[in-house]
Amino acid sequence: MSRNKPVKYSALGLFKRGLSGKEWPRVWRDVDLKKTYDVVIIGAGVHGLSTAYYLAKNHGVKNVAVVDRAYVGGGGSGRNTAILRSNYLTPEGVRFYDRSVDLYRHLAADLNFNVMFAPRGHLTLAHNDGALRTMRWRAEVNKVQGIDSEVIGPEEIKKLVPYMDVSDDTRYPILGALYHPPGGIIRHDAVNWGYARAADAMGVEIHQKTEVLGINTAGGKVTGVRTNRGDVSAPIVINCTAGWATLIADMAGVKLPIITHPLQAAVTEPVQMFLSSVVVSGSLHVYVSQTDRGELVFGASTDPYAAYSMRSSLEFTEELAGHVLELMPSISKMRVLRQWSGLCDITPDFSPIMGFTEVEGFLVDVGWGTYGFKAGPASGEAMAQLAATNKTPEIISAFDLARFEEGRLASERGAAAVGH
Amino acid sequence: MSGAQGSSRGAQRLGEVVDRNRTITFTFNGKKYKGLEGDTIISALTANGVKIVSRSWKYHRRRGVMSGNYHDPNCHFQVNDEPNVRGAHRRLEEGMVVSTQNVSPSLKFDIGAVNQKLSRFLTAGFYYKTFIKPERLWPTYEKVLQRFAGGGKVAATGHHVPADKRYAHPDVLVAGGGPSGMSAALSAADAGSNVLLVEEEYELGGFLRWGTADELAVAQSLREKVAAHPKITTLTNAVVAGRYDQNWVSVIERGLPVVMESLIKVRTATLVAAPGLIERPYVFEGNDLPGVMLSTAVLRLVNLYAVKPGERAVVFTGNDSGIAAAEALRGIGVDVVQVVDARHGGGLVRATSSRGVLSGVELSDGSKVLCDLLVVAAGWTAPTTLLNLSGNHPVFDEAGARFVPGPDLDDTVFATGGLVGDGTIDEILAHGAAVGRQASERATNGSVTTVAPAFSPDPHLPLFFGTTKGIVDFSEDVSSKDLLTAAHEGYNSVELLKRYTTATMGPAQGKLETINTVAVLASANGESIEETGTTVWRPPYVPITLGALAGRSYEPVRYSPMQAWHESHGGINIVAGQWMRPEHYGDAAKEVSTVRSGVGIIDVTPLGKFELKGTDVTKLLNLVYVNKWSKLEVGAVRYGVMCGEDGVIFDDGVTGHLSEDRYFMSTTSSGAAGVYAHLESWLQTGFPEWDVTITNVTSAYASINIAGPQSRELLSKLVSDVDLSNEAFPYMNLRTGTIAGVPGCHMWRIGFTGELSFEIHVPAGFGAYVWETLMEHGADFGITPFGLEAQRIMRLEKGHFIVGQDTDGVTQGFSAGIDWLIKLDKDDFIGKPELQWQHDSGAGFRLVGIHPNDPKQVPTEASQIVIDGIIQGRITSSRFSPTLNRSICLGLVVPALAVAGTVVPIRLPNGTIIQGTVMEHHASYDHEGAKLRG
Repeated sequence: MSRNKPVKYSALGLFKRGLSGKEWPRVWRDVDLKKTYDVVIIGAGVHGLSTAYYLAKNHGVKNVAVVDRAYVGGGGSGRNTAILRSNYLTPEGVRFYDRSVDLYRHLAADLNFNVMFAPRGHLTLAHNDGALRTMRWRAEVNKVQGIDSEVIGPEEIKKLVPYMDVSDDTRYPILGALYHPPGGIIRHDAVNWGYARAADAMGVEIHQKTEVLGINTAGGKVTGVRTNRGDVSAPIVINCTAGWATLIADMAGVKLPIITHPLQAAVTEPVQMFLSSVVVSGSLHVYVSQTDRGELVFGASTDPYAAYSMRSSLEFTEELAGHVLELMPSISKMRVLRQWSGLCDITPDFSPIMGFTEVEGFLVDVGWGTYGFKAGPASGEAMAQLAATNKTPEIISAFDLARFEEGRLASERGAAAVGH
Repeated sequence: MSGAQGSSRGAQRLGEVVDRNRTITFTFNGKKYKGLEGDTIISALTANGVKIVSRSWKYHRRRGVMSGNYHDPNCHFQVNDEPNVRGAHRRLEEGMVVSTQNVSPSLKFDIGAVNQKLSRFLTAGFYYKTFIKPERLWPTYEKVLQRFAGGGKVAATGHHVPADKRYAHPDVLVAGGGPSGMSAALSAADAGSNVLLVEEEYELGGFLRWGTADELAVAQSLREKVAAHPKITTLTNAVVAGRYDQNWVSVIERGLPVVMESLIKVRTATLVAAPGLIERPYVFEGNDLPGVMLSTAVLRLVNLYAVKPGERAVVFTGNDSGIAAAEALRGIGVDVVQVVDARHGGGLVRATSSRGVLSGVELSDGSKVLCDLLVVAAGWTAPTTLLNLSGNHPVFDEAGARFVPGPDLDDTVFATGGLVGDGTIDEILAHGAAVGRQASERATNGSVTTVAPAFSPDPHLPLFFGTTKGIVDFSEDVSSKDLLTAAHEGYNSVELLKRYTTATMGPAQGKLETINTVAVLASANGESIEETGTTVWRPPYVPITLGALAGRSYEPVRYSPMQAWHESHGGINIVAGQWMRPEHYGDAAKEVSTVRSGVGIIDVTPLGKFELKGTDVTKLLNLVYVNKWSKLEVGAVRYGVMCGEDGVIFDDGVTGHLSEDRYFMSTTSSGAAGVYAHLESWLQTGFPEWDVTITNVTSAYASINIAGPQSRELLSKLVSDVDLSNEAFPYMNLRTGTIAGVPGCHMWRIGFTGELSFEIHVPAGFGAYVWETLMEHGADFGITPFGLEAQRIMRLEKGHFIVGQDTDGVTQGFSAGIDWLIKLDKDDFIGKPELQWQHDSGAGFRLVGIHPNDPKQVPTEASQIVIDGIIQGRITSSRFSPTLNRSICLGLVVPALAVAGTVVPIRLPNGTIIQGTVMEHHASYDHEGAKLRG
C-alpha cells in the first residue's frame, strides 16, 4: 500500500523550500478506490475525518476510506462560523465540549498543521433579567465543572468590546453577559485539511467526488456501500453526513428522528481589527466575530423551515444587520460581502445521535444541529473508540439512538438556541 | 492645463462627464488636490499625476489604477469615516478626506513591503505550515498577522442613521442600463409592462459612453427614449445586488442625501439580466505594477474624464477594445509607441519596473520597449451572478473564451447583451428588444411567443495567463505561482483552491479573477476549463452596507395603555420581552404588605390573550393542555399547563369558557407569541379539519389584577350588573359585565398573588380610565399600585412557579409538582408519551420549596446544590419575604432530595456553602388557598 510520506511542516521547512523552490508533497494522496476496507466513513467533514484520524492513531485501524460526494470540508465543516466554547448547560454537554475544546487547543501540534485556534474570549449577552438569570445558571454549572465562566456587567463588557453600545437607552439594553475566556475561534478549513492530511499520512484514504448511492446489508448487517465509483465492501460504515444524514440512513433502512434546517451566515469586507471577542446575543439571534483577515463573520439561528436547499435569503441579512447595529451602531458603513447557507441536522432534544443502529455495523454520528463543528474532535475520538471496540464510550453514552424510544432526553435546548 | 483641472487633464473629449467650470478640493493622504465636478476619486488623482494609489493586501506592493471601475481592487480608500470606498466609482465631493488604507507609516514608505522580499517563504497558505509550536506563542504571531490585514477603519462611536427601505413591484426589472438593457426596457415598456431599469453607473449607456461619436449618439438617443417613456422608472448609481426565490430582488440605491445608500425590495414578475461584460486582467510578471491598466480603464479615464493615464504607452491586445484604447490615447496626446496584437502573433512576456512603477515591457519577440503605460485587453468575463442566483449553472464557451449562461435558465429570468453574446450595436439592440418583449410576455400573459435572434460570443483568444507568473487575485495578492503550488499540493479542485489560497474571496468576489484562477488550475490539473468548473457566485453582487440592510428597526417596544400613568407615578421600568412595564413604584416590599393587608392593582396587560371560537375548541384545549377540558362549564375558568412533544413544560395560563363555542385563553407574557404559533401550527398541519378560529386579542384588552382582601369591596363600587359575592361568583369563575360604565369587561376570579383577587380585561381604549378610576375609588382603602417585583415576591410566597424560571428546557411535567394536573388517562395530548415515561420512571428533577436555614440569607438565583462534586439541584427563585420576614426559595432538586425536611447545601456564586431545608409545600403562605377562595 502506498503511504504518503509525511513531511513535517515548520518554519524551517518553509525557509528551506523557499530557498530551494522545492515543492511540498501532496497534502493527501489521490488513490484508486479499493474493493474492501475495514471501515468506510461517509462524509469528509470534521466528524468523518477526525473519526478516521483517531481510528488510525488511537486504535491502529488504518484500512479506512473516507468518502465524500464533493470535496474535503465542503459541507457544514467549511460553512460554519468556527466558534468554540464549552460553557454548555448540561453536565453531559459541558464534559463533552470541554474535551473537544481541549483537543482543539492542542490540535495544531497534534496534526502538525496550524489550525489557528484563538481563545479570544466568548461573550453571551443578556438583554433582560430572565436571560441574565440563565447566564448566571450556566456560569454556576460551568464553575462546578471547572470551566472558566462568569457573569459580567456592562462596564466590563465595554472594556472587552469597546465598540459595543452598553447604554440603557437602546431597544435591547445589555444588562450583562456570560463571559467564557477559553472560548474563541479557529480556522475551520485548516481543521478539516489538517485531519485529512494526518489521517492520510497513517494510511487512511480520502476519496473526494465519491458519492454513496446505496448501502448494502445482509441479514441485518451492513456489508458495504455502493458508490458512483463502484461497490465497496466493509463491515463497518459510519454515517457522518450532517444535513444529509437522514438520506444516507434511509439507504440502510434506518429512520432517524432528525429534521434538516438551513442555517445562514454572512461575512463583511475586511476592516482593521476592532473586535477581539466572540459576541453572541440569543435575544437578537446573532453571533459575530472578527477573523484575522479583518472580516466580521455573522451567524444567526436556523431558518424556521425544513429544507435541503442551501439558498440564501435577503431577510436573513436584513435582520442580521439590524441586530448587529443594535449592538455596535458605529459599524453601519461596513459592507456585507457574501452570504451563504449550510444544513443542520436537528434532533428533538437538540443533542446528537451517536453510536449503534438496528443495522449491525452501520454507525451514526449525526444530529449535531448547529454546533457540530465545536464537537468535531471529541466526537471523532469517541466514534473511533466505538467503532474499534464495539462498545459505547461513557462520554457519549447519553447520546444513543435508543433514547428516543426509551424516553431519555439529553436536552441542550437551553444552551443551544442560537448558542454559538 | 490649468492647475485646477490637474496636470494630466487633456483637451475636451466628446463624451466627457466632468464640468470644467466647477472645481472641487479634496485631500489625499493629507495633501490638497483639485478635481472637477463629475470626477471620481481616481480620475481626479490620475488627473493630478498620482500613479501609486494603494498598497496590496499581503506584499504591500505599490498599486495603481487597474480595472478603473467599481470592482477595481487597487482603488479602495478610507473616505472620512467610511472604509473601503470604491475610488474608481465614488464621485468627488468638496472637502473629501481620502486616504490610503492599511499602510504604515505611509503609502510612499510602507514597512509591510518587506513581505515582498520574503515572498518566496510566504506562499499562499504559508501560515498553515508554521507558528505551530510553541502553542503559547500563536496569539503573538496572530497579532502580527492581523496587522497585515487590509481594509479601512471603522469609527468606534457614531449612530446608525436609519435608511428607510422601500418596495417596488414592476412587471419587468432590467438589471443594467447599457444598450441591451435600455433596448430591453424600451421594448418591454412598449409592450405595456411597467419597467424598473437599474444602472450601476451614474448614467445610462454602458460601454457606449466611452465609445465613438456614433456610439455616443446611439446612447444619447436611447437615453432620451427611456427618459420619455412613461412606463419606465430608471435608477442610476443603483445596483441589483441579489436575486432570491420567486424573483425577490434586492436593489441598492446609492449616493442619497444623509444616508449612504438604501435598500429597495423588489418583487418582479420577470428579471432581465443585462450587466454587460467585465474586462478580465491578464496574468504575467509585473501585471500589477502601477501603469498597467485594462483597456476599459483607459477608455474611461480618457473619454469620460479627459485624463491622460500616461505619457508613453504600449498596448497589448487580443481584441478591438485594445485598439479603441490606443486610438483614444492618441486622441488625447499620449504617445502610443507600440500596439502588440495577439491576434497577429504578438506576445507579452513581462512588465518591468523602476522605483516600483512600470518602466517598460518585454515582448515575446525579445524586444524591450520603454513605457509608463501598458494597456492590456485580454478578454471578457460575463458576470453571471444574477443567473447563478436564479439556479442557473454557467457553461464555458470554448470559442468565446468565457463562461456563458447555461441552458437551464428559470423561465422568469432572461439575459441579454454581453452576458449572452457579442455583436454590432444593431445586433445588441435587436437582441435586447426581443428579450424585453419576451420578459413582458412572460410577465403579463405567461407565454412567450417572441423568438430572440441568434446571439452568441464571437471567437476570442483564450488569453488568461502568459509565459511568466503574475498576480491572479489582486484583492488577495494571490499569484499564479501560489495557485500552481497549492494545486500541486492537492488543493486541486476549484473550491479547495479558493479556500486554501483565498483567491476570489476578496472584495471583488471573483468578478475579475475567477476565470484566471480556473484557467491556472485547469493547466495545473491538465484539464479543460469546462472540466475544472467554476465556483458558485453568492449574493450580494456588490457589497451592501449594514446600514442599508438594517434600515429602520420595526421592533417597537410595547406598552400598556396605562404606561403613561405608571411613569408619572414613580413606576420604574423593566424590560419584559417586547414589553416595558413597571418593576415597582419605589418600594416593592411595601407594595406587598399593602396588598396582603388591603388592596393593590397591577397592570398585567402583557399577558397573552386569545379568543378561541368554533365547535372544536375543546378538542384543541385537550390536545395542547395536559389536563382535561371537556367538562368546563360556561362561566368557569381553569388553569392549564402546556408541554412540548418532549413533555417539557413550555407555557401555562388560565382559559375561560365564555359561551357555548367561545373561549378566552391567557398565556404567560413572554410565551404569547410562541403559544400562538404552537396552536396555529397544530391546527394548520395536524388538524386542519377542526373548526377553531384563534384571534390574538393581547393588545385589544388592558388587563388589571385587583388583589387583596379588600379587592371585592373596591370592585363592587364600580360594578353594578354582576353579583360579585362569593356565592354568586366563586373562585375560578368568570363573568362579563360593566366596570365603571365600560361594558364588555371580562372579570375572572383568579390570582397569582395568593390573595382574593379579580383579574379584569377591559377594552384597551378604556384601560387608563378604568385604572385611574380604581385608584380613585381605592384611595379609601389605602390602595397601592404594585409592580412586577411585588408580584414575583407574592407568587413565590404562594409557591406558584414561573415557566422558564422555575422550569427549564428539560423540565418535564412531573418535575414541576403538577402531578395532580396531568391526566395520563386522556386519549392523547401533546407530550403524553414522554410524560407517561417520566411518570413510570420517576426521572428528572423535582421542584420544591426551600427555606434557607439562616432566614436572612437570600441565595442568588441559580446557586447550585452540589453534593460530592455532582450537581443535585439549584435554586430557581429566591426572595426575602416581607410577609414571613424570612428568605424563601423554590428549587429544582433530584428526587432523592425532594423530601420535606431534607437539608441541602447551597453553593453561592462566591463559593460559600449555606444550608437550606426542603419544605413540604411550594407555598410558604396560605398553602390551603383559603384566602383565594374567600
